Amino acid sequence: MLTQLFGNYLMKQHLVSPSHLIEALRESSSTRVKLGVLAINAGLMTPAQVDEVHELQKHMDKRIGDIMVDSGYLTSEQIAVLLKAQKSGHLILGQSLIDNGHMTTAQFAEAIRQFKLDNSINDIDFNDVKDELTEKMLGRFYKLNSKVTGEEHLVEYVSLLFKNLIRFVGDDFVPNKVEKLDSTASGAKQRIRNGLSAITIIDADENTMVEFASRFANESLTMNDEYTKACISEFLNLHNGLFAVKLSHSEGIELELEPQNYYEQMDLSELGNLYVFPVSFTFGNINFIVAM
Amino acid sequence: MFTGLKVLLCDDSLMIIKKMSDVMRSLGVGIVQTALDGEQAVKLYKMGKPDVVFMDQVMPNKAGLVALQEIIDYHPDAIVYMLSSMGTIGKREEAEKIGARDFLQKPVTSDDIKTVLEDVVKELANKKQV
Repeated sequence: MLTQLFGNYLMKQHLVSPSHLIEALRESSSTRVKLGVLAINAGLMTPAQVDEVHELQKHMDKRIGDIMVDSGYLTSEQIAVLLKAQKSGHLILGQSLIDNGHMTTAQFAEAIRQFKLDNSINDIDFNDVKDELTEKMLGRFYKLNSKVTGEEHLVEYVSLLFKNLIRFVGDDFVPNKVEKLDSTASGAKQRIRNGLSAITIIDADENTMVEFASRFANESLTMNDEYTKACISEFLNLHNGLFAVKLSHSEGIELELEPQNYYEQMDLSELGNLYVFPVSFTFGNINFIVAM
Repeated sequence: MFTGLKVLLCDDSLMIIKKMSDVMRSLGVGIVQTALDGEQAVKLYKMGKPDVVFMDQVMPNKAGLVALQEIIDYHPDAIVYMLSSMGTIGKREEAEKIGARDFLQKPVTSDDIKTVLEDVVKELANKKQV
């Protein structure tokens, strides 16, 4: 989830454009994080030292790791440890941006440093960051206040939503702020009752729905037909169900869900207080809406 | 192993019905019936007496646990597995109390389903011997 927040951070700080970010996210699955980025992330080398090693490599027939060891920057033990972080999402994203020439190694190093500082992250590996901290960051991002009645469960709801998106659809997205919301929405809808009264909605255009459903169902769908709509609705039902399970364990609250359904042109103005959680996937934008 | 088995799938989601039917087909299950709500599930159960039922919870026209109760009332030995995303503590307890065999939390894998069906086949074979 931190990778997605980091992606938005890069965009918000105008370090990368939205289109370059989307391009980098799309290429992430085929990107391998190089040793230089890993060493900078771990604070073992500076961007200048990495550039120097890369420069050296141009004139030598040696592996980059060997040059780093020969130059005295790293030990082979340190390299072995560093390579384990190669699957970290934010580093893959950074590497992808560097490879495409949208950021320099130094800019990336500075962005990571600032991002960690702003969010009080001490861990080198983002995977080690506690859930509590990421939830807090997400809450701050969407301006939710857990002390406000009605909003206390929204942070948990969104945090689980992000986990479920990563788990069932893909990690190539970034959260966004609400810019403007249409008065109507088309998509899946499900009501939650008992202990929390809310209407939840997934809203997106047809092409985005088709791709979202294709990934969730692990099938190649081509049109927004009844089956595609059923897949979108089932994702909402699955997520809401898992949220209900979580609340029953953490707080002893037993939520009830009403059957999910898909509607065209739902009027949003009559649904009460709207909380909108926009997410940009590489294939399109989706609004997750909770009306309370 | 499952050719002699008659299964009733009950879920209001077309996606789940399709996915589960695919799993049943790949496992070689003999007969698969489907119901899209709780009411239809009870009706089909009474008509066809399937060997095992997979029952969703959140559905229109009768929720899963209500349908489960009616099936158990009709046939106390019915083998019904709840298969739902709503595996809350309360729903699990209620399902167990009514007489569901287990509460399978969505998402499930085809291996999970295979294990369940193997248990069912064993139980049916034991019953026959008695």
